[in-house]
Amino acid sequence: MKKTGIYSSYGTKPELHYHKKECYMKKKACIVALLVLSVLASPLFAGGASEASTTKKTVTYWSMWNEAEPQGIVLAQAAEVFKDETGISVDIVFNGREIRKTLQPALDAGEKIDIFDEDISRVNSTWGKYLLPLEDYAKKSYPTTGSRSYSDSVSTALLDLARQEGGGTLRVAPYQPFAFVVMYNKDLFNKAGITITPKTWAEFEDSCAKLVKAGITPITVDDAYMAAFFGYNLSRLAGLEKTLQMANNNDFKDPSVLEFGRIWSDFAKKGYISKKAASNIYPAGQIEEIAAGKVAMYLNGTWLPNEIKGNAPNLNWGAFAWPAMGPNGTGIEANNYGAQCFGINVNSTVPDEAFQFIVYMTTGTWDSALAKESLGVPMGKDSDWPKQTAEAKTIIDHTTTWMTWAVGMENLPDVNAKIKENFSKLILGSLDADGFYAAMNK
Amino acid sequence: MIIVFLTPALICYVLVFLYPSIRTTIMSFFAVESVSDPVSTWQFHGLGNYAKLFHTAIFRQAMRNIANIWLVGGAGVMVVALFFAVSLTNGMKGVRFFRSIIYLPNVVSAIAMGTMWINYVYNSSYGFLHNVFASLGLQKLSETLWTGPGLLFWSMLVAYCFGMVGYHMLIFMASIEQIPKDYTEAAHIEGANALQRFFFITLPFLRGCFRTNIVMWTVFTVGFFVWGQLFSPVNLSNATVAPMNYMYEIVFGSSASTATVRDSGAGAAIGVIMMIIVIMAFAATNLIVKNDDVEL
Repeated sequence: MKKTGIYSSYGTKPELHYHKKECYMKKKACIVALLVLSVLASPLFAGGASEASTTKKTVTYWSMWNEAEPQGIVLAQAAEVFKDETGISVDIVFNGREIRKTLQPALDAGEKIDIFDEDISRVNSTWGKYLLPLEDYAKKSYPTTGSRSYSDSVSTALLDLARQEGGGTLRVAPYQPFAFVVMYNKDLFNKAGITITPKTWAEFEDSCAKLVKAGITPITVDDAYMAAFFGYNLSRLAGLEKTLQMANNNDFKDPSVLEFGRIWSDFAKKGYISKKAASNIYPAGQIEEIAAGKVAMYLNGTWLPNEIKGNAPNLNWGAFAWPAMGPNGTGIEANNYGAQCFGINVNSTVPDEAFQFIVYMTTGTWDSALAKESLGVPMGKDSDWPKQTAEAKTIIDHTTTWMTWAVGMENLPDVNAKIKENFSKLILGSLDADGFYAAMNK
Repeated sequence: MIIVFLTPALICYVLVFLYPSIRTTIMSFFAVESVSDPVSTWQFHGLGNYAKLFHTAIFRQAMRNIANIWLVGGAGVMVVALFFAVSLTNGMKGVRFFRSIIYLPNVVSAIAMGTMWINYVYNSSYGFLHNVFASLGLQKLSETLWTGPGLLFWSMLVAYCFGMVGYHMLIFMASIEQIPKDYTEAAHIEGANALQRFFFITLPFLRGCFRTNIVMWTVFTVGFFVWGQLFSPVNLSNATVAPMNYMYEIVFGSSASTATVRDSGAGAAIGVIMMIIVIMAFAATNLIVKNDDVEL
């Protein structure tokens, strides 16, 4: 409005002149502004082209490990190398086992978490609703899988288990597998003249007798694993289904419970099980008896060599499946094995990068490194097994029946506590077989 | 003006104490899986959580355990703490040294204390008790499995009480030091011996202090958790379980097992039961142990 008034007062010519001048001024101002902007903005974009292409996304990983654990150390190292190779940063938040408390509230609160991990059952069941389906990712190949797909590169047994736990579909990526087997000291077996590992109960009893004769206590257990010990025995005596029924119904009237009492009451009298087992507070048995070389066997997981490597760095480890005990029970083809698992948050904004890191950790160099440093079991088909757990590979390969953890004996705290108390008394002789049976049914 | 100063404290109290207490109480009447589940997913369960708890053997065992801790442990701790307090306020030499030594377990982490007791006192191969009895030629006693069945609870209780004596001793000492010297001096001149002075002068003056100690002991007992975890570190044992251990297990899932069933509603019910116990203990103590009728 104001300009129109001015133009009209100067007539046509001055109006044109004014327009020319105004355009010139505008051009000049634009050029100056562009120059100033480019000067001001130049530091922001210095090297911008290359940076923009290499600085990719950040994956936030809430880990179940502590920073000082072998697994934590390897994961941190792998994340550094992964960043160098791919440009993808992995921000690891080491929660330790506290993740069982912290993860879900954090996910509910919308915290940026792309990857989390824990036991295969816990991730699938407790945190199942937060999981991104992974079947499509598993069909693709990755730099560390070569021309094969991810599915074809890692343990089929573990992927099948993951699908089973995930309701028929793959929603987690297993790693750090374990098998629950008899971990034994080969040197003590050799000293006792035992040349083959027992597969039947008669062979097991014979091995125990030889060990005792050589002045070696055959087997021990800590309070933490008593329920698993009981569960394994019952499954070998009564079968898997019946054992699970007993565990879940807290009903131990089956004759196999009495048979268990008879066997272990007798074994305790013969010195086949350490008396200290009755008072071992975890990890006393595995450190003071197994690592110290006083006891030969422990029904435990393949993680045992890692847990006590500080106390027994040179222990000559072997592994065999808990022997068959009777015609009605399971045989050495039935075992419990499992794994820790990575899951990707369904709300993750970087799922591709997250899975890329998961593949990086579960195949190739870093899968082997993880197994080597934690004396554990690798996930990749081509990865090397540490010698401490090598014999467990055969057990996993020959397992046709998967048994749940502790064969269900830790499902109910009531049952677990009852087993611990009564089995301890059975070992000490303050309960005989009948007393044990009665106490289990009280 | 008063309101201005009170408001921050009041807000803190409402947010940090009142809101969680009310939410927990409401949650205890619902079936809730995880503590962070949205309220819309809660299902009304009435008194179901409470009924379930009292039908669960391990919870009943946990209640028996804290009853024993409160009664037996409490009596032991109070007697020993009072004995030390009276001894150390009697003008003996080295009071500061002994007071520090007795209080020391309170400043050491419970984890370290528990590890020390389990490994260096109770261990049946090289523990302190084993060595002492072995050196005395008491072979059978030296082989005692202190953490075995039958003794596990009592071993844990002794270890726990050992660390609690110093705390209660300090409270007793503070009260004893407030008793006017005139009374004891007068009684002394009149010929009262040490026992008479203790029973007729010191003890009556300590009524309020006893009330404080009993309430504090109740609060500690209800919150008993760490020592139960230390003496059964991976999964629950009948001998060491306390309600808080059981609550932890059902709210967050078992520590070792892959069984991951959670029941935060029942966990909340345990919290409410514990809160009621503390309130009842406080009220009962106030009723039984009357206020001091003597001005100090």
